[in-house]
Amino acid sequence: MSFFDNLLLGWELVSNIESFLALAVGVVVGVIAGAIPGMSATMAVALTLPFTFALSPITGILLLLGVYKGGIFGGSIPAILIKTPGTPASSATILDGYPLAEKGQAGKALGMALYASCTADLISNLALILFAGWLASFALNFGPPEFFTLILFSLTIIAGVSGQSLLRGALSALMGLLLATIGLDLVYGTNRFNFNDPNLMGGLNFIAVLIGLFAIPEILTKVWDPRGNDGSTRQLGGNWVSFAEYRACFKSIVRGSVIGVFLGSIPGIGAAPSAFLSYSEARRKSPNRENFGKGELEGVAAAEAGNNGVAGATLIPLLALGVPGDVITAIIIGAFMIHGLQPGPLMFVTNADIIYGLFMGLIISSVILLLVGSVAIRAFRFVADIPRGVLFPAVLVLCVFGVFAVNNNIFDIGVMFAMGGLGFLMLRFDLPAAPFLIAFILGPLLEDNFRQSMLMSGGSPDVLVRGPITWVFWTMTVITVVAVVRAGFRNSKQATQN
Amino acid sequence: MSSRHKQLGIGGAAVLSSAFLFFVGIPYGISAPSNIRNIVLSPLFWPQILAGLIGLVGLGILVSAARAGAGETVTAGQDQTPDQAQSEPGNWLRLAVMTVILVVYLAAVPWIGLVWASIPAFIAVAFLIQTRHPKTAVIAAILVPLVLYAFFAHVAGVAVPQGEFVRLP
Repeated sequence: MSFFDNLLLGWELVSNIESFLALAVGVVVGVIAGAIPGMSATMAVALTLPFTFALSPITGILLLLGVYKGGIFGGSIPAILIKTPGTPASSATILDGYPLAEKGQAGKALGMALYASCTADLISNLALILFAGWLASFALNFGPPEFFTLILFSLTIIAGVSGQSLLRGALSALMGLLLATIGLDLVYGTNRFNFNDPNLMGGLNFIAVLIGLFAIPEILTKVWDPRGNDGSTRQLGGNWVSFAEYRACFKSIVRGSVIGVFLGSIPGIGAAPSAFLSYSEARRKSPNRENFGKGELEGVAAAEAGNNGVAGATLIPLLALGVPGDVITAIIIGAFMIHGLQPGPLMFVTNADIIYGLFMGLIISSVILLLVGSVAIRAFRFVADIPRGVLFPAVLVLCVFGVFAVNNNIFDIGVMFAMGGLGFLMLRFDLPAAPFLIAFILGPLLEDNFRQSMLMSGGSPDVLVRGPITWVFWTMTVITVVAVVRAGFRNSKQATQN
Repeated sequence: MSSRHKQLGIGGAAVLSSAFLFFVGIPYGISAPSNIRNIVLSPLFWPQILAGLIGLVGLGILVSAARAGAGETVTAGQDQTPDQAQSEPGNWLRLAVMTVILVVYLAAVPWIGLVWASIPAFIAVAFLIQTRHPKTAVIAAILVPLVLYAFFAHVAGVAVPQGEFVRLP
């Protein structure tokens, strides 16, 4: 089947009211969640996951993708209006967005954020459509040793760039890998840390772990500091962005989108570094560079383009290799698993209709984001007024219902609370949660591919360096470790000098 | 808590966890068949590798904390965020109360059902985080669990626990 046949097949799958509705509802939920300080796109995607049980696979995944896209844009609204980024990736938007709001041009800044987001989102989705299939066909040649080295590389880069130091990221990833060993052994079926408890024999429930790690710590943070995250909202002002202003920023938007696509397709980098890199490149190349940081519209455009350019590209490693690129795609992998689907190169052969359906859905989501975003900017006042004292208890109850619904098991609620406590401690001790969750998901895959490789070779480690693909991944792993360690030494040296 | 203290805490906990896994967790928590010829295929191998790496990383964190020590003793406390600096007993007390609420919530679910356990839990958390809208919180505490029950029980087909007293349709 040709590429265009597949796209047509995908279009047939999503050209129905349920899919459009799922995307629209997802984008609305995402924008609202992203716009509420204290909530985040990650939390919104995690909380929406249980609602996909009742939906068909494609509708459920489109709902989550809508939340993802909406959440990333939604984060820019409080960043501009109350100087509080709704998502970490929106931090770069504050640099010029808030000064514009102080000048009474919040409407202009938000308008540019929306247009830059939608443009970058579209470019990112097109990159996904073009590259994911190609990468998947290449990955069909991978055997267990290749997958082992790929996952090892992904975990190394995720551990290296997610937190403040490689060691803390590595510790977080190792904890995730250890937690993934709970349950019956993959080969011999013997007990591993399950102490004959039937609740633990299948391992810990993935959704209980992820909701525990990403939603409960936010509630505990609110308990810790009930008066945090309150800010005063700026007025939108009468100004709106003009086409000439959009055209003037177009170069920076495209550059930011390309940076986002490149960084997003590498597992673990995420949206925040992309937004800052795009912003600094725009400042370096702009004739108005002196105005950056004081309320430059191009700065908002560049930051938002870098931020949203990642959204489609993070799905490239997820769909083509089965490796989640960041936390949100790690949650989305859960939706695939719930519906009995395993993302990866084989899915392009066995479920090509779903893959191409998702591609078409993503393109539609860019248009929906434009429509919903325009309304959301004007409606932010109402979103900002949602009382946190009611919102957070509601989130807790939603978490409990959602986690119970996965397996109809009260034990999972306990797991979620325990993981929430761990997540809160990790937050307090600056241990990044992203490597933990991604390692927890990839742990069984890593071990399984390692043991399969050893079975293939009769226990000889030579199989792990058997060909050029494994060499490339080993080299990239070593380069990542060296680069992260060097950066760490440089930072500590600078800190000592200061 | 300064960055160095955090590092010392994390590193120490990692080394202790590694030792615990090697001497207690793995020997007593994992069973392996006795006739495995190749050690790398044993169910013990992977957890042992992970325990070893956790210990090594913990040591690395302790060493880097020690290296940073001299420079940071003068500036200790300066890298604290406002939130961390205001780590008062009240914060810990609220956290302890929250823990009790969560434990009671969990224990109450099989006894009175998910919906009826959620209502007091909602109200308790709302008051714990000092809600400025107590009436809205109480109304939401009743409505939110009922709406979620309606969705999960009647749309998603989940058997929501009903408890031993009042059963919902």
